[in-house]
Amino acid sequence: MNELPRKTQGLGDEALAMARPKYVGKAVQRLEDPRLLTGAGRYVADIRLDRMVHAAFLRSDQAHARISAMDCDAARAMPGVIGVFTAEDFADIPVISAPSRMRDYRATKCTVLAADKVRYVGEPVAVVIARDRYIAEDALALIEVDWEPLDVAADAESAAHSNAPLLHEELGTNILFERVFETGSADDEMAAAPHRVSGRFRIHRKTPLAIEPRSYVAEPDRANDGLTLHGSTQVPGIIRDILSGLLDLPGNRIRVVAPDVGGGFGGKGSLYPEEIAVCALARKLARPVKWVSDRSEDLCSTSQGFDETIEAELGFADDGTLIALKGQVTGDVGAYSIYPWTAALEPVQVVSFLPGPYRIPHYRGEVKGVATPKPPTGPYRGVGRPASVFVTERLIDMAAAHLGIDPAEMRRRNLVSETEFPYRIGSGIVWDRSGFAECLDEACSRVGYEGLRRLQQEARAAGRWFGIGIATYAELTGIGSRISVAPGMPINTGTETASIRIDSTGAVTATFAVASHGQSLETTLAQIVAEELGVRPEDVRVVHGDSGATSHGTGTYASRSAVLGGGAAIVTSRVLRDKIRRVASHLLEAAAEDIETGDGRVFVTGTDKSMSFAEVAHAVYSDMKALPADAREILEASESFDPVTGTTTTATHIATVEIDPETFAVKIGRYLVAEDCGRMINPLVVDGQVHGGVAQGIGAALLEELSYDRTGQLLTGSLADYTVPTAVEVPHIDVVHLETELPGNPGGFRGMGEGGTIGAPAAIANAISDALSPLGVGVTELPVTPERLFRLVSEARNKTDTEK
Amino acid sequence: MKPAPFEYVRAASVREAIALLDHDDAKIIAGGQSLVPMMNFRLAQPERIVDINAIAELSGIREDGSDIVIGSLVRHAEAMRSPLLARHFPVIAEAMHHVAHLAIRNRGTIGGSLVHADPSAEWPLLVALLDGEIVAEGPDGCRTVKADEFFVAPLVTEIDETEILVAVRFPKPAPGAGMAFDEVARRAGDFAVASAGALVSVEDGVMREVRVALGGVGDGPVRATAVEEELTGRVADKVSISDTVELACEGLEPETDIHASAEYRLSLVPVLVRRVLERAVLRAGAGAA
Ligand SMILES: Cc1cc2nc3c(=O)[nH]c(=O)nc-3n(C[C@H](O)[C@H](O)[C@H](O)COP(=O)(O)OP(=O)(O)OC[C@H]3O[C@@H](n4cnc5c(N)ncnc54)[C@H](O)[C@@H]3O)c2cc1C
Repeated sequence: MNELPRKTQGLGDEALAMARPKYVGKAVQRLEDPRLLTGAGRYVADIRLDRMVHAAFLRSDQAHARISAMDCDAARAMPGVIGVFTAEDFADIPVISAPSRMRDYRATKCTVLAADKVRYVGEPVAVVIARDRYIAEDALALIEVDWEPLDVAADAESAAHSNAPLLHEELGTNILFERVFETGSADDEMAAAPHRVSGRFRIHRKTPLAIEPRSYVAEPDRANDGLTLHGSTQVPGIIRDILSGLLDLPGNRIRVVAPDVGGGFGGKGSLYPEEIAVCALARKLARPVKWVSDRSEDLCSTSQGFDETIEAELGFADDGTLIALKGQVTGDVGAYSIYPWTAALEPVQVVSFLPGPYRIPHYRGEVKGVATPKPPTGPYRGVGRPASVFVTERLIDMAAAHLGIDPAEMRRRNLVSETEFPYRIGSGIVWDRSGFAECLDEACSRVGYEGLRRLQQEARAAGRWFGIGIATYAELTGIGSRISVAPGMPINTGTETASIRIDSTGAVTATFAVASHGQSLETTLAQIVAEELGVRPEDVRVVHGDSGATSHGTGTYASRSAVLGGGAAIVTSRVLRDKIRRVASHLLEAAAEDIETGDGRVFVTGTDKSMSFAEVAHAVYSDMKALPADAREILEASESFDPVTGTTTTATHIATVEIDPETFAVKIGRYLVAEDCGRMINPLVVDGQVHGGVAQGIGAALLEELSYDRTGQLLTGSLADYTVPTAVEVPHIDVVHLETELPGNPGGFRGMGEGGTIGAPAAIANAISDALSPLGVGVTELPVTPERLFRLVSEARNKTDTEK
Repeated sequence: MKPAPFEYVRAASVREAIALLDHDDAKIIAGGQSLVPMMNFRLAQPERIVDINAIAELSGIREDGSDIVIGSLVRHAEAMRSPLLARHFPVIAEAMHHVAHLAIRNRGTIGGSLVHADPSAEWPLLVALLDGEIVAEGPDGCRTVKADEFFVAPLVTEIDETEILVAVRFPKPAPGAGMAFDEVARRAGDFAVASAGALVSVEDGVMREVRVALGGVGDGPVRATAVEEELTGRVADKVSISDTVELACEGLEPETDIHASAEYRLSLVPVLVRRVLERAVLRAGAGAA
């Protein structure tokens, strides 16, 4: 697929122009790069409007407290301050609540600013509007709040107790949801299984940490009594739809635009109080209002992720055949159930994906989400799967060690095999045919697995701690309308629409409701449209992230944009191409079936007759003599695409680590990913997404943790304390692509934007456990910091000392 | 994350700077790499900032008889590249590699680092290891302070708010002394969880002068005097070193914070001390390694 077939060489222009695939699958350089790399990008922070004012939020420094009094007079009196606003100023805005059709789910009520009490450190309680941000922040220091501290249950375990202090009194409990998934009879089969391994696993809270923090500029349109919100968001369509209701403005008077966005990773995928506040204040003040989060605010107010304790047990036979799996997931979901995904998003996905790509006939998974006085959790790259894969892959390795089977072989014996697809796992997810075993085998062979095992023996003999870790996983991507991205969510995330038009100059503009924020969609969608329409990618302008340009669409998240946006691009391009062919059949006096397109030209096959897109457009729009009136078709098409179900993406990650036995520093050596994302649109982009994802997974495995003390105070409030991997901590990553069987969507695409983050924590946890296995130490808690390793090893050594 | 309002003045000479410091709440700014973050967090809210970056007399590294003198405005990056320092104190460049990141090393200064006095910072440890003397100038003239008197507590030094640190004097070590530095940090460029430096001179296979300094495990840099005393006069080999390194923990009471517990920090001390001593011995006599 990568090179033109040889026989096309030496053929005429027409044949070359029409050779397919010409762009899809090619390493096309990113079309957005010249803009972004030369500083011509436009981020929200770059937006400066006439009469614009600046917002700064006063945030709670209490985890759980009643606001008994607030004095804003001094702040209001400060020169340069335009206004200070508190909850009562937003009283006309309906309470925000994330509904779900899930049984046993309790939605929380959230106001724009905390009204009578606060529920986490960082919750906004007042907003100052001033001439500039400096003055606004000076004024914040003058606001006085009288707090009446309330009891704090800072972690999920204590908050789940029946006598725990309640965050939302009206709910009568801190448990926001509970759910059970069951297939077969896991309890009985587990009890009867010849072998069992189990553990209590913990993955700590993380922040998505985009380079660009959340930022908004609300621009009132006084002429039309309307509003434009320029927001660094992944979901402009979702925000437009909800704001329309909250602000009581019809969709044609409110527009949400995501300009260039510097990363999201899920953190810009939900509705935030700040974006409602700037919109409401812009309307109230009839002036543009700007708020750019600073890093400290970002760390305590952007949705957080991955905070679970998982008790799990795996039962298996003498030959390693898996029999039963049980899991109990407790999610520490933070203070509010976030809109639109709900607090159930992450923990329910953990329990849903726990059976993994394996044949496990009996499964019982229980999950509950507990409200705690911390910022709300929301989507974070990988959603649920980094935790579930960590647990399952650790259990598989533990089982392999228990039986003395090699971990790769243990997986081979249990992966769902070619003939078993479609395969329904115990939680109800259905895998379509994807290269589970193929990725594992390819990863082992490319990394030289046998050789690594020999190296390990030598290293061990020399007293070195060297380990090899494998993680094999499957995930559901590109989810259509039959499955909800989040459990029971009443909004449609399962369709995408493309509108493609050729204007009177012959230029192509393709409009989507997805919102690229680092995924390279301006390139990959252009490649697809170019391929289908017969133009060059650089000739396609991709418009995205603008709710004003589409009637419906949600945005970019959940590894959906290539499958759904790409699918919509294909079906729409085909409709438009047929229009071009029909029109051209008049102009070139040939049958429409004999007309082909390529390189921006229209050809009659087998002849030298051709014309450019510009000439066709001129004939349609401008030269009213060229076509009979009834043959003039406007060169536009708009089609929707719904993959109905989802498609399965799989990968195997293999990592080697070496641990310094004295300092417990972990160094990653080899890192290889073999992945099957179906047909690649652009291998450069796939590699980039894998690299970035693995870097984030390394953060989850080794470095990143938001730590809160018992009173609910954030201890990692800056990037000196919240440690993300830098270039130094990220090793060279090899990526191998497999295309086992194409899924049944128009492009044959599978989603892959999150995969790197899903596999890496498990692969590294397994590698570290493998390195430490002679000491009888295994990793059950992430991130596994040198401090944690020091403790694990010290405990193991003390134990062997006392046993001696 | 915007600083509170402040007045900014740029001084052209040490005398002028001292005059400008005669103000209720004035602070010197050098590289700004510690002060500006503190101001942005509003942990520091000085009313006046006295910029000393234009003062020529505070720059440069020079030889002064048996001393090497480093001006307070010398940047970490400059110290890292200095041929003069490389000749006499190769350990400085070795340690500077661990200080933060390129951009910070290009701005941050030795003077700022010493006055900021982070217990995990590299310069304080080096001053302790290399028997440096801090030269400060105030309204009443110049004085010198020895390392063991200079560091009072974390972020607190002997220097007065009316004074400027003008330079640091390092006595040249005995010819052929071997030196080494090492640290454990969470990531490249992070402040050390624990650090150690060593200086050893060896004569006829016997250690004559032994100096060991530790960082990150006390209120400031700490000299491991027990190790120094025990090793002086011992055979310069691995056995003597490993026999002795545990002594380095004597009297230490490191802090527990989110990056490391006191126990973990303490466990690193003998490891680092052994590593730097072994390396210093290897380098001793070999000139600048
Ligand atoms: C992300 C990051 C990572 C870092 N990592 C490390 C690290 O690993 N190791 C390390 O050692 N440092 C590290 N630093 C700190 C850095 O080295 C600073 O440059 C240094 O601590 C302060 O030097 P400065 O010149 O920037 O001082 P400034 O920030 O300008 O001043 C610091 C303090 O010293 C005072 N001061 C400055 N110069 C004088 C003077 N001549 N006389 C009297 N008072 C003076 C100021 O008033 C202020 O109180 C890091 C900094 C950052 C931002």
